[in-house]
Amino acid sequence: MTENRSFFRNTVERILDDNIDKGDIDAAEERRVLPAALHEALTENGITLMLVPEDQGGIGATLGDTAEMLRLIGNAAAPGPILETILGQKLLAEAGLGVTDGLLSLIFVDDVQDLPLDATYWQQAAAHDVPWAQSVDKILVVARDGTGARLIVSQAADWTITPGVDAAGEPRDALTAQALPIITTSLPDYDAALRTAAILRGAQILGAIEWSFRRTVEHAGERKQFGREIGKFQAVQQMLAELAGHVLASSAITEAAAEGQTSGLVAAARSRLGDAADAAITISHQVHGAIGFSLEYALNSRTRRLMAWRDDYGSVLYWRRTLAHRFTGLNRETFWFGVSDAGLAA
Amino acid sequence: MTAASLHLELPKLTPEAEALRQEVRAFVAAERADGRLPPPHRVGLGFDKEFTRRIAQKGWIGLTWPKQYGGQERSALERYVMNEELLAAAVPVGAHWVADRQSGPVLLKFGTDAQREFYLPRIAAGDLTFSIGMSEPESGSDLASLKAKAEKVDGGWRLNGRKIWTTNAHHAQYIIVLARTSIVEGSRHAGLSQLIIDMTSPGISISPIVSMANEHDFNEVLFEDVFVPDDALVGKEGNGWNQVSAELAYERSGPERWLSSFRLISELVDVLGPDARPSSLEELGRLISHLLSLRQLSMSVASMLQQGQSPNMEASIVKDLGTKFEQEAVRVVRNIVSAEDLTSGGRAERLKALLIHAQQYAPAFTIRGGTNEILRGIIAKGIGLR
Repeated sequence: MTENRSFFRNTVERILDDNIDKGDIDAAEERRVLPAALHEALTENGITLMLVPEDQGGIGATLGDTAEMLRLIGNAAAPGPILETILGQKLLAEAGLGVTDGLLSLIFVDDVQDLPLDATYWQQAAAHDVPWAQSVDKILVVARDGTGARLIVSQAADWTITPGVDAAGEPRDALTAQALPIITTSLPDYDAALRTAAILRGAQILGAIEWSFRRTVEHAGERKQFGREIGKFQAVQQMLAELAGHVLASSAITEAAAEGQTSGLVAAARSRLGDAADAAITISHQVHGAIGFSLEYALNSRTRRLMAWRDDYGSVLYWRRTLAHRFTGLNRETFWFGVSDAGLAA
Repeated sequence: MTAASLHLELPKLTPEAEALRQEVRAFVAAERADGRLPPPHRVGLGFDKEFTRRIAQKGWIGLTWPKQYGGQERSALERYVMNEELLAAAVPVGAHWVADRQSGPVLLKFGTDAQREFYLPRIAAGDLTFSIGMSEPESGSDLASLKAKAEKVDGGWRLNGRKIWTTNAHHAQYIIVLARTSIVEGSRHAGLSQLIIDMTSPGISISPIVSMANEHDFNEVLFEDVFVPDDALVGKEGNGWNQVSAELAYERSGPERWLSSFRLISELVDVLGPDARPSSLEELGRLISHLLSLRQLSMSVASMLQQGQSPNMEASIVKDLGTKFEQEAVRVVRNIVSAEDLTSGGRAERLKALLIHAQQYAPAFTIRGGTNEILRGIIAKGIGLR
């Protein structure tokens, strides 16, 4: 681990320890209350500016370092638009609009909705599944525009917000506006922005999987039935060994994707994480029995986030098709070259 | 190792390893161009003594071993890269695979100087095929219950017993047998020893076992009063179980666990082309994502071996995942062939033949070299449950 990464890690671990507990998670899910102290601490320590270059007032961290922080944040099931703010700040800086104070929400959409590049208003604006729209300052829409993208920046306060939730209970709202004041500018590469979002969400998914795995192994060592710990039963051991394989394989490919950032590795990571998330949900709950099904027990805060996140920023099936397309033009000899050149973190 | 420390470092491939990759590719391409290596119609490791000698001439057997024993002193990661290239090309490496992967390394680690000096250069020259004498008719997953017995006699041991599923015993010059040399009260694992045995010794008889894929790789080997000289003991008398455990980490972690049927996938991709339906792309993409993940894991394990660690649990995970992947690959290829109607009417005959053979072969993937249930037991121990 590099010196930088250790420093970021210690900082984020301390922030999470100090500012988030089960009560904060419950408040976010039940009452749409953003854990304000957590977000203030992340902002004050520069975590939300990790991906902004230093000469634009940011930290200039690598995607690998940033993904490690999202892994910790996913592990802690920390609610709020953290990924959205980190990526939003990066895109604002990239577009030359400069970083901003406060929190950001962000969505990707597949077409540019006929907005001219110099538009200052968006007529009959609509946006769906917008995370935490009532708790952020700005809403960013990243719209595909050929191979490039349009970045559409608006004030959250200018939208009419209809509350909605994801599987974890975190806000994902429906937004409308008659005539929405916007700033719009272009970005060079839609898919590159989507990949960055996908790998950061992938790191969060990995963190939640790792928490579930660890807690379930602990539970199997504590819970007794038939006079002994359930982890002594072969049936339980076999399930947890299978989950260990999912954890190790998905962490290997996710780390490689965060470091190497090639499109093949990112697609592979999100595909592999889809299977790992499914296995983590099934096996963790099966081993926990009825205990894990209660709202009071913390397992569900990871489980339901895995459900919410699994298909974010490109569904698992989308990434599988994307990955396959990179290989289907190859022949029996070159297929292996495609596999071995898929991108290493060298 | 506990659940909390279930983590691998990212592997870093060196320029030397990438240079070796290009060398191996050029060698395979030249072999194919010369017509010495026809593209295979079967999955699994082919057997070709002449090809093994040509590999040996490149210095690619015992690549990591000390130069004094015929090796090249190159890194475990370089060996990993060489192996994945050879396996992906599906060239016949079966004649030296076991000797290079585990018999040689066991001798290097536990053998006497005389054993190393005698066997290792011959393995590196491609002259020797080795077999593994572990399983018995009544001892499969419960290996420690084995009954092969070596009794001390003047100047050596007298071996009696039966070994089974012995790959290439009918081709091998030597076999390393795990046998009981003493009874230790209260421990089944103590009292086992490894003996290296010349297959031409009097008292050895070999019977073929034809697999359901209609191939003769396996054998049953009977030892009747076989005299084994003292200098054939490998390592310490009674330490066989520990030695075998170390050996199995070599056997389980390699890329052959997820690349032995790779040819089936590359053949499918060749025939499929870019115009597949979305559901086929989704199945294929999922398969490739598992392949890339296994490759990352395998490289990490090679890195750990390079650093002198013994990644027994990680090796077990690679084999558990890898063999499941290979079975899954057969299912996926079969479904895509069916959905896209790729082989009817006499088309794509090579793919059709590979798929039939891979289906017949697939049940063995999760059995050979330790069943997945046994591997999961090792993983469970690694995460602190046993």
